[in-house]
Amino acid sequence: MVERLLDRQVSPLEYPTGGGAIYGASGAAVADQAPPGFDPGMLRLEACFSHEKRMDKIQSVFPQTFRLLGDARAGIVRDFAATFPPVDISRLANARQFHEFLRARWQESLPEPPHLRDVAACEFAFAMARAPSPVDEELPPAGRPARGAIRRHPGIILLSCEYDVRPVFEAQGQDQSQDQSRDPARAALSIRRETLLAIFLPPGEQHPQTFEILPVVFDLLAVLEDWTVPSEFVLGPESDELIRELADSALIEVRL
Amino acid sequence: MIDITNLNPGPAVGIGYRAAIGEWTLKNLQHFDVLEITVDHCLSSGQFTASAIYDLVGRIPMTAHGIGLSIGTDVPLDLAYLDKVATIVERLQAPAYSEHLAFTRAPGRDLANLLPVPKTEAVAESIIAKVRTVQSRISVPFLLENITYLFEWPDSEMSDAAFLNLICGETGAGLLLDIENLYVNAQNHRFDPCKFLDALPAGLVKEVHLAGGVTVSQNYLDRPVLADSHSHPVPDGALDLLDNTLARQTPDAIVLERDDRLHAGDEILDDLKRIRNRIAGQHIGNAHGRTAVGSAS
Repeated sequence: MVERLLDRQVSPLEYPTGGGAIYGASGAAVADQAPPGFDPGMLRLEACFSHEKRMDKIQSVFPQTFRLLGDARAGIVRDFAATFPPVDISRLANARQFHEFLRARWQESLPEPPHLRDVAACEFAFAMARAPSPVDEELPPAGRPARGAIRRHPGIILLSCEYDVRPVFEAQGQDQSQDQSRDPARAALSIRRETLLAIFLPPGEQHPQTFEILPVVFDLLAVLEDWTVPSEFVLGPESDELIRELADSALIEVRL
Repeated sequence: MIDITNLNPGPAVGIGYRAAIGEWTLKNLQHFDVLEITVDHCLSSGQFTASAIYDLVGRIPMTAHGIGLSIGTDVPLDLAYLDKVATIVERLQAPAYSEHLAFTRAPGRDLANLLPVPKTEAVAESIIAKVRTVQSRISVPFLLENITYLFEWPDSEMSDAAFLNLICGETGAGLLLDIENLYVNAQNHRFDPCKFLDALPAGLVKEVHLAGGVTVSQNYLDRPVLADSHSHPVPDGALDLLDNTLARQTPDAIVLERDDRLHAGDEILDDLKRIRNRIAGQHIGNAHGRTAVGSAS
């Protein structure tokens, strides 16, 4: 029976997306795993090109994370390649996979330096904020939100951090010529205190902006994922003013 | 739609637009007759990049190029993706839309690198049907691009040119001839690129890509391999193949691709000059009744 092309296409994709082909266990072992009929050396080169391209995309999203990973970087990338094969061409999808991998790894053992977890979360949030916002589907009249309903601006990313890592990004670009992964001055830039952040890309801007917000605002924005009528909240007499301020700063949208 | 052929007597010459050198591109716009826009960058690179691209509409002709279709994957085409591409192509007022004759993914895996398909009649039939689908949803001519490939399928039974000719002949699709890919494949797989060019019917090549790569040596390879890295000046051997192409074909646009060492703007501008010189030489040669023939070293 003739094998379907799709089934056959899986082999030259699976082999070069595996850690064995990228890093090579031993030459003979890798050659044995290559799909029959294909040149194992060329498939391995394909694997290396593809992996380099993928890691370039990921590193462009996590520049500070990679810098702070220091000597651990090579081992982490290798483990990542072995456990998270690429499933999508996009920069954001690959960055999401890498962030998931880091989060899982750091649940088992804390990263060094410890604020690295928040640095990675912020960098992934910057990437999400840069991505095109989802377009609202046209709803039937009955399903449309009422006038005056509010929701969090769909482009805003909320982040609860254990450290205030904003100085890491403010220092970014000041002196990137040297590896600062173990620079104690840089490590000292991040202070351990709960920091609630809203990250979004203002219209026409290239770089996302980061704002520290009060716990009450963070909680309100967190529940406003969908259109909601403000009267459903019992926020106290200042709520109207708060909503107005949030709308003025484009953190929430108001249905007209 | 802007007709890029009206601006110059020969093909329009330009570069593939890259957001990382967007400002440099704007400052040097006078050096380009055309910009090639990767439609996928409009889709996924964010609002800033998309706006910068759309702001160029009306300032310079743009042609549309894709990297995300994976027309060679043996599954139905993603029609939602195609419809988004159609909208972008219209917005760019592009005269053509091109994609690679390749596959990059199968369900659950995406190498994000262009891989060859087996060159068989059965695979050609499946791709012909998909090309027709693309043509039915995109309002401008569709062009297929020849890719560079590191490995061959063991059951391929046709030459590169015969496979392309079959698909383009059945569908009326044009060819985006990537001369660097041809140059690299000819060196890596040891065939004569002039025979490939000779096999293409006159008029098939609608656009041309040029680029420059590097030589890679690894202990697991039998011999050094050329890689299409889009990182260095166009090799003279590829420009010789451009001469050969222009003797038989009349492409509307020649696009220089550069994806690495983007800071080397002078190299990019110098490559454009070298391309224009080859075009000018061709015109002089033709005017004097000579046949311009080049061959890759």
